[in-house]
Amino acid sequence: MVVMAAASCMLNVEISQVLRCGMVEVKNDGEADSGRGSGKWTVPTGRRTDEWSECLVLIGKSNDRASFTRFFRHFAPLIKAFALAGSSMSAAHADELVQEVMLKVWQKASGFNPEKAAASTWIYTIARNCRTDMFRRLQKFDTPLAADDLNIELEGEEPFTVLHTRRGSDRIKDLMGQLPPDQAQILAKVYMEGKSHSEAAAELDLPLGTVKSRVRLAIQKLQVQMDRQ
Amino acid sequence: MAKHHPSNDLLMEHAAGSLPVAQAACVAAHLSYCERCRRIDSQLRTLGGAMLERLEPVSVSEALLDNVLARLEDPAPLSYSDQTKGTELPGLLERLINKDFSQLVWKRVTRALSVSYLSTGDTNHEFALLRIAEGGRIPEHTHGGNEMTLVLEGGFSDGRDSYHPGDFIFRSSEDKHAPVALDGEDCICLTVLDAPLRFTSWQHRWLNPFLKLRAS
Repeated sequence: MVVMAAASCMLNVEISQVLRCGMVEVKNDGEADSGRGSGKWTVPTGRRTDEWSECLVLIGKSNDRASFTRFFRHFAPLIKAFALAGSSMSAAHADELVQEVMLKVWQKASGFNPEKAAASTWIYTIARNCRTDMFRRLQKFDTPLAADDLNIELEGEEPFTVLHTRRGSDRIKDLMGQLPPDQAQILAKVYMEGKSHSEAAAELDLPLGTVKSRVRLAIQKLQVQMDRQ
Repeated sequence: MAKHHPSNDLLMEHAAGSLPVAQAACVAAHLSYCERCRRIDSQLRTLGGAMLERLEPVSVSEALLDNVLARLEDPAPLSYSDQTKGTELPGLLERLINKDFSQLVWKRVTRALSVSYLSTGDTNHEFALLRIAEGGRIPEHTHGGNEMTLVLEGGFSDGRDSYHPGDFIFRSSEDKHAPVALDGEDCICLTVLDAPLRFTSWQHRWLNPFLKLRAS
């Protein structure tokens, strides 16, 4: 019954199936992990999902420095790009951010759960929080709340939440490449540059309504499951 | 279970880390009540992760890697442990108010309404707890700006709907409302304002000059 959901309507059907046979599904939580015996879990298409998740698991379980080095070589240049995206952050501060994020990766890897999130989601969240805190430090903005305090994780006890989350992550990644440039550009402003919708509108010289509708279209294309409003 | 949620736009700005800290704290407090919004937040962060992976990498020196490897065994900085589970209030609020409402200083605004101001460091947003006596009414008012409200205890009604713990309400400057606390217990809400309230009824308008934004 586990079929890769190519369209959101299929996904909904699938979830309702999971719900309908909820009792069985609890026990069957492992079913979606059928590729796991080999130590590599796969999505139902047979594609191997996420070598970086495995890497994180190894770091968390056995403080594996070789895995950490591999992870660093892949993600540190992306974190640096994230630090420099659309901001006035100096290269020295960007390097400092990379160090901070990577040390957090080492310290927090044992809490990483590949069932709940993709490695990229996990490290994005850490990088986002470190960047927010760093901006605040640089601006001498004093707050009792660290960005980490405002991060509320999905608990994901319910099997359908887990399925939904992990499957969603693969689908979003696949669809991201197909976004029209004007939509991708706005998402990049919002996510990578940390701009509010109105700041993005001002910078791109677009009406706020246009920014919001492009964001909405992008969200629909990526099949992020949000309620219509 | 919460029935009133932040808009998709707000959830996205929260996931992208672009909300000012006082507003982010209010949205986060709602997330701690609301599984639906936690799920959306998780997907929106997944989107962030996917975008991160598509960035053009910027090279990082080997020295930086060596530096990090050398520091791996440094003790991790102290941090507040995981969000407290099973308590009534979101953990981040518990910390801001020092455990519970009994420690707070409440200022009386009207017979039915008291306010306690909390400090988030955000000087553009007032971050305050409102306590409305059971059955009490806040005189009709508008705002010069936006207002976020999260119900923490009790509940209130604004004529359109009634709101209960975990419910999140966003009102823009045009909205005029006169919330009434439900019977049974005092209603305690978190509110985040970017401009002071303005009472609209003639009996209360004289208060307006005294209503300054108390952001700290």
